[in-house]
Amino acid sequence: MSDIMIELKELTKRYPGTETPAVDRLTMEIPRGEIVVFVGPSGCGKTTSLKMINRIIEPTSGQIILDGEDVTDVNPDQLRRRIGYVIQQIGLFPHVTIEDNVATVPNLLGWDRDRTKARVDELLDVVGLDPDVYRNRYPKELSGGQRQRVGVARALAADPPVLLMDEPFGAIDPITRTRLQNEFLRLQQELKKTICFVTHDIDEAIKMGDRIAILQERSIPAQFATPEEILTQPANDFVADFVGSGSTLKRLKLTRVRDVNITTDALLGRIDEDKHVLRQRLQESDWTAMLLLDAEKRPSRWLRAPDFLHDRPVAEMGLPARAMIEPQATLSDALEEMLLGSAGVAIVVDGRGAFQGILDVDDIITSIQTMRDANAEFYRASKLIDPATAIA
Amino acid sequence: MAFLEYLADPSTQRSLLEQSGEHLFLTLVPVAIAIVLGVGLGIWAHRVPALSRTIVGATSTVLTIPSLALFAIFVPLVGIGNTAPMIALTLYALLPIVRNTVSGLYSVDNAVVESAKGMGMGATKRLVKIELPNAWPVMLAGIRVATLLTIGIAAIAVLAGGDGLGTEIFRGLRRIGSAGAFESLLGGTLAVVVLALLIDLAYLAIGRLTIPRGIRE
Repeated sequence: MSDIMIELKELTKRYPGTETPAVDRLTMEIPRGEIVVFVGPSGCGKTTSLKMINRIIEPTSGQIILDGEDVTDVNPDQLRRRIGYVIQQIGLFPHVTIEDNVATVPNLLGWDRDRTKARVDELLDVVGLDPDVYRNRYPKELSGGQRQRVGVARALAADPPVLLMDEPFGAIDPITRTRLQNEFLRLQQELKKTICFVTHDIDEAIKMGDRIAILQERSIPAQFATPEEILTQPANDFVADFVGSGSTLKRLKLTRVRDVNITTDALLGRIDEDKHVLRQRLQESDWTAMLLLDAEKRPSRWLRAPDFLHDRPVAEMGLPARAMIEPQATLSDALEEMLLGSAGVAIVVDGRGAFQGILDVDDIITSIQTMRDANAEFYRASKLIDPATAIA
Repeated sequence: MAFLEYLADPSTQRSLLEQSGEHLFLTLVPVAIAIVLGVGLGIWAHRVPALSRTIVGATSTVLTIPSLALFAIFVPLVGIGNTAPMIALTLYALLPIVRNTVSGLYSVDNAVVESAKGMGMGATKRLVKIELPNAWPVMLAGIRVATLLTIGIAAIAVLAGGDGLGTEIFRGLRRIGSAGAFESLLGGTLAVVVLALLIDLAYLAIGRLTIPRGIRE
């Protein structure tokens, strides 16, 4: 079993009567189990490239290798049953029920009724739709987000190893889109499908992609790399331009809180401790504030020196602790919490809400710098390789 | 109230009923043939856009030929009787069916057809399972128009030697001015109208039964 799931060799599409090809000798290897995002300006040929993989658009020349097998000339209908396909307009069949929609490929493959029915129920469950409620509904009775869920379920029905997704969340309102993206990423962690994903939205590409192919005109890759590399080391001006000015902010969406060094030795107190003990501890430390935890170690209040001037019970002193984040949150989430909270720091807590550490703005800046240095190192190292050997 | 007396006469009732039966036969057989031919032509025209204009154009031209002339054209070929009218009526019924089949197929959302294709549904299966069911409401509307059109025109089949309710109408027309002529004319005409209304109701029921719930208005 090779690590390459889809291999495109010199794939070209030339429409009759046009000078320049729509896709010009696209060569690319798509690793098994990864999400590869094709992103680029409109008209760059990214959708054409995607649709050549399941031969909705027949390539003029070149080869498509699927899991080691040359599928450039096999029966296209047989090929497509092995590849899940999700498009922006979804294209649910309006005249049949949700159940029949999801059962399309199993029916084509001749599964027996019980197996198909069980699979449909399982999939509706997976995409978060209660089978008992939605099985017998018609597409027009569903919202846009629900329809796209059904679209994903339908594409997964026969458990194809490969999914092609053409702007799947493009026509959905932003809030639902974010939710569907997150759900899909969670799903992908279990499914480990090889996915080609087309979008024109660089933010979506960064969020969804294990690798991103930034495509120029004629579908020529300007850069094919991980999101980190694209953000920190754009290969050329085109990429830098396309990624845009907010690239540092975008980078914050890539790193999770658990991946950076958080301050774990913050000054702590317990909410049931004596006021004078707390005051003394604060005075003797270098810290300007102290975090009080409750009996379950959950952050409760922030105390600073002036707060001791008022005669109040400990539980009512200072400010309530806000801006709490879990380790799997992104630095972008953390920064947002910091800006909203009053303390200028975010408190990291585990799933049950117990204190783990503190993250402040400096930690975030340090992590950005580390990321940049590491990439610069990598970039310099790769330049030292003799170009001749690099090509071979 | 001579008309009511005319209607109350059992012999009138019998002949009107008999002629209605003939009229229905004269109509439904051409419509059935036109459905087979028209849907076929429509699918062909949709598949080969270059032919679309020719096919729809040809069927439109038929409709511009005066009906009496079209009925008469076939008499030398097939003789006096029901055959010539039925050929002419088939041609008349073609246009609405062909045109609505083509536009019905075009009205099917491209994304629906593409996703069917993308899941590995072959061309024939796609046509039968996806395109035709979704085009059906528009196609059915065409068939309904074709039928109503044919019911009206079938009344002149009698001039080419055919039968149907035209018999009663022309019986009145030939004797206009004499007793009972107007009643025949009116009786035959009303019978055609009633027949058309009943057929229309039947199409409503057919629509209810055959248009999938997911795409019903």
